[in-house]
Amino acid sequence: MIKKRIPFILVIALLLVPLSAFIHLTTGEIYVSLNDFFSAIFEFKGNNSSHVLIREFKIPRILIAIVAGGGLALSGMLMQTLFNNPLAGPYVLGINSGASLLVALSLMSGFSFFGSDIGIISAALIGAFLAGILMMAVAQRIRSQISLLLVGLMFGSFTSALVSILESLSGEGALKAYTLWTMGSLQQVEFDQLPLILFIFICGIFLSFILIKPLNMLVIGERSAGLLGLKISQVRFLIMGITALLAGLITAFCGPIAFVGLAVPNLTRILLRTQNHSYLILGNLLFGSIFLLLCDSFIQLLSKQIALPINAFTSIIGAPFVVFILMRKLR
Amino acid sequence: MIRFEEIEIGYSKPLLFIPSLTLDDGKVYALVGLNGIGKSTFLNSITGQTSLLSGKLFLNQQELQKISKVNLPKLIAYVDSSFSGVEYLTVFDYLALGRSPHTNNMGQLNTEDKQVIQEVVRELNLVHLIEKDSSEISDGERQLCAVARAIIQSTPIILLDEPTAFLDYLNRQKLIELLVLIAEKQQKTIILSSHDIDICINNALEFLIVSEKKILKTKVSDKQVVIREMEKDVLKSS
Repeated sequence: MIKKRIPFILVIALLLVPLSAFIHLTTGEIYVSLNDFFSAIFEFKGNNSSHVLIREFKIPRILIAIVAGGGLALSGMLMQTLFNNPLAGPYVLGINSGASLLVALSLMSGFSFFGSDIGIISAALIGAFLAGILMMAVAQRIRSQISLLLVGLMFGSFTSALVSILESLSGEGALKAYTLWTMGSLQQVEFDQLPLILFIFICGIFLSFILIKPLNMLVIGERSAGLLGLKISQVRFLIMGITALLAGLITAFCGPIAFVGLAVPNLTRILLRTQNHSYLILGNLLFGSIFLLLCDSFIQLLSKQIALPINAFTSIIGAPFVVFILMRKLR
Repeated sequence: MIRFEEIEIGYSKPLLFIPSLTLDDGKVYALVGLNGIGKSTFLNSITGQTSLLSGKLFLNQQELQKISKVNLPKLIAYVDSSFSGVEYLTVFDYLALGRSPHTNNMGQLNTEDKQVIQEVVRELNLVHLIEKDSSEISDGERQLCAVARAIIQSTPIILLDEPTAFLDYLNRQKLIELLVLIAEKQQKTIILSSHDIDICINNALEFLIVSEKKILKTKVSDKQVVIREMEKDVLKSS
């Protein structure tokens, strides 16, 4: 009974991904029919304007929503398991803040290399990784789940203060570029960047699947897992590496996107009712993709009236959900 | 079997000194002593969690320092007193983690693993619990599951940190009887720390009394002997 329930939910979720992608396709400013969509993929003609539109805008945006949603949810799950804390996530624990700080630094440095695509991406990755190392060092000394979050919050305030100082010192162009980046958007990715993004995303998934056994052991705590033979420091390093890679990549291309990494892993656990990470990894990838596709569909729907940043929208849904989890856990 | 040779245990200052001590297969030892006297540190030294200040410790003829981290969990199972359950972690999945030193890199259970789990579940009467959420069962049931997980780990040595703390009288008695039976039948060395001196005497466990920075291995039939031994520490410090 229980054994059939989880695959059943996962299959439903798997079917919901193309459905959400279809909703995403139909909510855009310009109407795209399924026919056009498939002919743009299989019989692409360079002189057909709707084919070009689909290839240059629609497909990258849908794929990025899937990668960003699934990737953020996955990295959130990894952090929650590693820190044994359902309230952990790349956003609350400052991975995004680290990435933002370094992106701000590189954008406002004035050197054109740092302002280029590769400059921003490497800055975000390095920032994410440094923040991850910092949080890991703090987590060694702090046992309380809430305290760790407070440290993450303080780190966030601290970096945003630094960013404000940078902003006041920098010119109008850099300021605008940075502000646009922080609002978060799924439409800045170009078709040629997709292979790289997908490659890193698939590497992250592959590495997570290799870590299934350590992740399942970490559920009962680092100490007990260590007594069962888990090589803690090695696993910790790998998990933080994957998290920084995924969250850093997504932050670099889409800007900071809040709450997906925190809310979706909790939602997945509640729906699947398991701690088996082979199911949790799949669940997070699927639910994260669906969640972000639907959020972005909504943004597209409203785009004629207002240009809503994705970051604001995920927060509006995510923040109340996290409060709900807090009330459930910490009554 | 566990053998101690000229061992000093502690952190910066030594807490315990053990010139020579051998703990045999097939026996259950009761580790007793006042709070903060070094019982947990003693257990942690055997698992390698706290490194020895000096001396040599042998587990089944192998020197502890030379055993790899991968092989150690095949020799020693440790039962923590503090497992409080994890939401959505079923008792079966929890018990299955006991097999992780033996499973492959993906952690899949083979037929032998499943058989071991089934046997222990039947022996400890946990059949009705295995589908349940480990955070929704009682403290006593959880304690029993923790012990079951250690037995499932199939190691020659089992250490238990206050395994009877949350159990009622009947379950305490049953647990100790079971441990004695397992130690005899499978020739395991079992150490359990406890404050429940009566039940250890009733089951004729051999005592390891921690006091005055030493460990006294002795058979006891009178509770007063144990108390007098433990009181030496109090009298000395006052």
